[in-house]
Order: sequence, then structure tokens, then C-alpha cells
Amino acid sequence: MQKIEIDPISRLEGHGKIAIFLDDAGDVAEAYLQIPELRGFEQFCVGRPVEELPRITPRICGV
Amino acid sequence: MPDKFKFAFMPSASCGGCEIAIVDIDEVILKVAELADIVYWPTALDFKDHHLEALPDGSITVGFFNGAVRNDHDVHHAKLLRQKSAFVVAFGACAQMGGIPSLGNFWTTEELAHRMYDTVPSVNNPEGTRPQLKYDAPEGELTLPRAMDRAYALDQVIDVDYYLPGCPPQVKWIVAAVEAVASGELPPKGTVIAGTKAVCDECPRERSEEKQVTEFKRIHLVENDPEKCLLEQGIMCCGPATRDGCEAACVTAGQACRGCFGPTDNVNDMGAKLASAIASITVADAQEEADRILGHLDDPAGYFYRFGLAKSMLGVQRGEFKPEAE
Repeated sequence: MQKIEIDPISRLEGHGKIAIFLDDAGDVAEAYLQIPELRGFEQFCVGRPVEELPRITPRICGV
Repeated sequence: MPDKFKFAFMPSASCGGCEIAIVDIDEVILKVAELADIVYWPTALDFKDHHLEALPDGSITVGFFNGAVRNDHDVHHAKLLRQKSAFVVAFGACAQMGGIPSLGNFWTTEELAHRMYDTVPSVNNPEGTRPQLKYDAPEGELTLPRAMDRAYALDQVIDVDYYLPGCPPQVKWIVAAVEAVASGELPPKGTVIAGTKAVCDECPRERSEEKQVTEFKRIHLVENDPEKCLLEQGIMCCGPATRDGCEAACVTAGQACRGCFGPTDNVNDMGAKLASAIASITVADAQEEADRILGHLDDPAGYFYRFGLAKSMLGVQRGEFKPEAE
């Protein structure tokens, strides 16, 4: 099966890649979006003073 | 030197704020365009790895790398940028010293993943599905980069020539860096392109000769006097240990400094420097009194290493892993 991979997805903040599989007729059989990034905001925000979070969570996405 | 310089902007474990900072130079971008061709910038234009791989080694004048190094794909990108660039600039707090993502270094990557994929309230994942490095989908194989054991600063992975600090870097220092390249008057290798003093030195707030703190308070519990030093009002501020050059932007806006420009010169560990600064202004006659005052400093790890845990001498400190407590 032919595979078209778009890696990285450009012109955006964040990280992503797309895999598109084509069948014998050249039609899309399946497409996958993958997010290849791990930073851990879900954990390292826990326990911080709540008034500090407006200065931490904007760094999830700064665009 | 070539007729026209070549610049590359490489994103990594970052938020995109550094890329916005580049755009924030406004009309100066036209001067940059006159001066240099941008040969790689996937956040703004449709560049792929093969575009960078196809360039001759050392042909990029300056490679700007933003973000921490968090997975093996980031490592590959860092090494590739190094190979292709005459100079590499660690652009922004994450590349300089790990940044916010390195706050995760208090935990193992497995602990972070456990939180993210198993227990965070917005996730429903009873089967415990995790990202796989290789996945055999019915149509073919899918792969993901391998997360490293922690977040690294860029110079822990490759040789770095200069540092442009800040979260995000400030326009005037980006312009200063570009002008240095244009004029050929480059500072010594390893220079942090920013101020050389502490944030307190350019802070407009009044401070007394001898700071005396008898209590630390959270900022919303204080009638914050906009004219007075925040530390003297008992509000934790990282200004004494933080490199200047931001024109005390946060402090001027009524928020305490959190150290995004990193430590001043000749400081090995920002947290140690801050602990020392805090100790020198805390007034206590007895240990119990010191304990009481410092006990109100709620989150010293989060204050002292907000942007720079990857570069701390602490290395990696592990949190206690208690999945059943979630």
C-alpha cells in the first residue's frame, strides 16, 4: 500500500505528522494523525500555586 | 562570508512563542530579508527535513534553535542543525536552559506519561493505551520518536555558540544578534546576548539599602505597592539572580520576575543563587523564625527553577510516584 507521509506538518505551532495510505486505485484507504511530542504539563503544573499557572500554561502554545 | 547570509530556525520541544518573537521584530524582518535568506523555518514555511539535509555542511550562517530537547527526533534535529551551521544560537529559555518543559524533570518520563495517558481527568483510557514507537496499522507501519529520560538544554546535546535568552526572547536582543552577524563584530563564543547585570539593576521600583523580609506572601494576598520592590513587600521575585536586558518587563507590569533570562554571569546554579539571595534578605533571629518565614515560600522549586531546571546542578530530582493516590 502506498504511503504518503507529511512530517512535520509545517506552518503551525505544535508537532504533528500525517500518514496517508492509498489503495491500489490510488484512493485514500486510511489516514493517521500523530502527535509526536511529550512535555508533561499535565503533571508538572500539579502542586504549583494557582496564581502561577497563568505564567506556566501559556507555554503550552505561545502563538 | 557569502554575499547573503543564510538563517535557519529550528523548532523543538517548544511552544512557538520564540517563532512569534521573530515575527515581532516587525519591519526589521525586511532588513533581515535583505541581509539573509531563510533556508529552513518549518513553523512559517513548508520545509521538511530533507531540505535541511540537502544543504552543504556549514553553509547556514546562523542556525537558531528554539525549544528544549525532549525526544530522539529533537536530538537528530539539533545535530543536523549543528552540522549545517557555522554558528548555532540557543534561542529562548528552553534551548538555553530547558525552559518550562524542564519542570518535568522533577519526574521520570514514565511518570509524566502515566499522568498524561492514564490519570489526567480529561482522559478516558481504561485499556491503558500508550503511544508506541512502532505501530503496525492494518495499512502499514507508523512510528513515533522516543521520548528521552528528561528535557535537555541545547548545549547538553550539541556545541552552542551563543545564547539569546528569554521567554520569549526580546526584540531588541534579536536585532542586536542580527546586527552583530551583519557587522561581523561577533562577541566571544558562549556569550549570552542580553544584559550583564541583574534584573534589579534595571527595575524601576524603589528599594531600600538593606532589604528586610519578615514574611513571604502570595501576590494576591498583598496590596501590591507599584512603587516598591516586590521582594521587600514579601513577594517572591527572581530579579536578584536573573540576567537583565528585559527592561524588567514583568515587574513593570506588576508581576514578579520568574527568571526567564537565566542566571547572571558566573552563576552555576540559579536556584542556589536565589536561595542565597533569599537568605540574605530574610530577617530571623532564630531557626524557628526562619522556618516560619521560608515556610510561606510555597513552591521554591517552581520559583527557583521555573525556566532552568535542565541546567541545574540538581540534575534530575524524582518526585514520588503514587499512581494509586490519583
